[in-house]
Amino acid sequence: MEEEGKVRDMVTPGEVLGKASDVRPGKGTYAVPYNDLVYASLTGIHHSVPPVPDSTDQRPTVEVTDHKAHGAVPETGSVIIARVTKVMAKMASADIMCVGSKAVQEKFTGIIRQQDVRATEIDKVDMHSSFRPGDIVRAIVLSLGDARAYYLSTAKNELGVVSAESMAGATMVPISWTEMQCPLTAQIERRKVAKIGG
Amino acid sequence: MEIKPSGSPTSFVDQSVVPGDVVLDLSSMTNQTIKLGGGLRQDCDSITVMKAGKLRYSKPNKYWVESSQKRYEPHAGDSVLGIVVDSKADNFLVDIKGPALAYLPVLAFEGGTRRNIPKFEVGTLLYVRIVRANPGMNPELSCTDASGKAAEFGQLKDGYMFESSTGLSRMLLGSPTCPVLDALGKKLSFEIAVGLNGRVWVNATSPSTVVVVANAIMNSESLSGVQQRIMVEKLLQNLKLSC
Repeated sequence: MEEEGKVRDMVTPGEVLGKASDVRPGKGTYAVPYNDLVYASLTGIHHSVPPVPDSTDQRPTVEVTDHKAHGAVPETGSVIIARVTKVMAKMASADIMCVGSKAVQEKFTGIIRQQDVRATEIDKVDMHSSFRPGDIVRAIVLSLGDARAYYLSTAKNELGVVSAESMAGATMVPISWTEMQCPLTAQIERRKVAKIGG
Repeated sequence: MEIKPSGSPTSFVDQSVVPGDVVLDLSSMTNQTIKLGGGLRQDCDSITVMKAGKLRYSKPNKYWVESSQKRYEPHAGDSVLGIVVDSKADNFLVDIKGPALAYLPVLAFEGGTRRNIPKFEVGTLLYVRIVRANPGMNPELSCTDASGKAAEFGQLKDGYMFESSTGLSRMLLGSPTCPVLDALGKKLSFEIAVGLNGRVWVNATSPSTVVVVANAIMNSESLSGVQQRIMVEKLLQNLKLSC
């Protein structure tokens, strides 16, 4: 019996992993009904996950995970940290930098639409009073979006601008959910600020 | 280095200043609020100039630097002349001589609905008003004034458009009427539209009038009022001699 993780059992797409009556197809595998077999669909390491003790289906799940350690990929519902790159009249573009607490290894783009900036009065949102280019925001992934970008949302109290630089160049201090103040010039700038802590 | 006595802040007003000049010393002016306009920066207690130009002061407490340059920086509320570069589904892309193209929403006209969208070809000259111009974002334009009326905004047909510096545009739009326009208007009849972005459009019935008006305006930036009138006189005499 192989211990999980000890024997690196590499499989390639098309390799048979077992019978569909014995194992359940998981990530990276698929079952073919006419001959009742489970095949791998990715190149990677083959794992077998023991079944949940109370469930009706007592088959172990086989999955194939990528053999290279790769960075995080944003999924629907994951909280991400992004840097705003462009602010336009009806939406803002941002580069996703971290998913959860892991940094990404390739560039993902996200879009925050005007109606997803906050939860109240969504048609009166002024994008320039919510984000500026260069701000670091915490957002949630709404959907995988289109070929160009993920759709993000900051419509919660704990989502929004986490860190921003003022026009004088200093990191601003948040003073309310709509305003941040520059410590050097005492100027107040409007942003959609995230509520951190509490 | 000699520092100007702080008791005379007006010593620099209406004079040419260059970046680095310290024009005000705040340590002597406590309990006063001063408003700084463009071109000035506060460095602890001294106000330094950032842009070359003339320092201006307006009562009670506004200081700013006025300069004339070819480049235009979009500001909300300015009326400018733009050239249509592209038309998309929801807006026209208009070049207003700024760092970024501006958007003119397709419905931003008096009585504009989805049914009567104007068809502007690429290259159309428009007189528009800037609604929003935030740094980093493309400016937004409108062909109506703030209350929604058309008010002379829209397409400029025929005529001749030429470029000028921003200082000349401000002079042409100043009140009372600037001397060159006053002198030309007494003898010739023409239509003119001045954009704060350094574009001027002139239209008249005969081409020679258009050329005279355009040349007179282009020559008038560095002349004083009297010199402008003399220059216009000479141009008009040439016009009478030739026709």
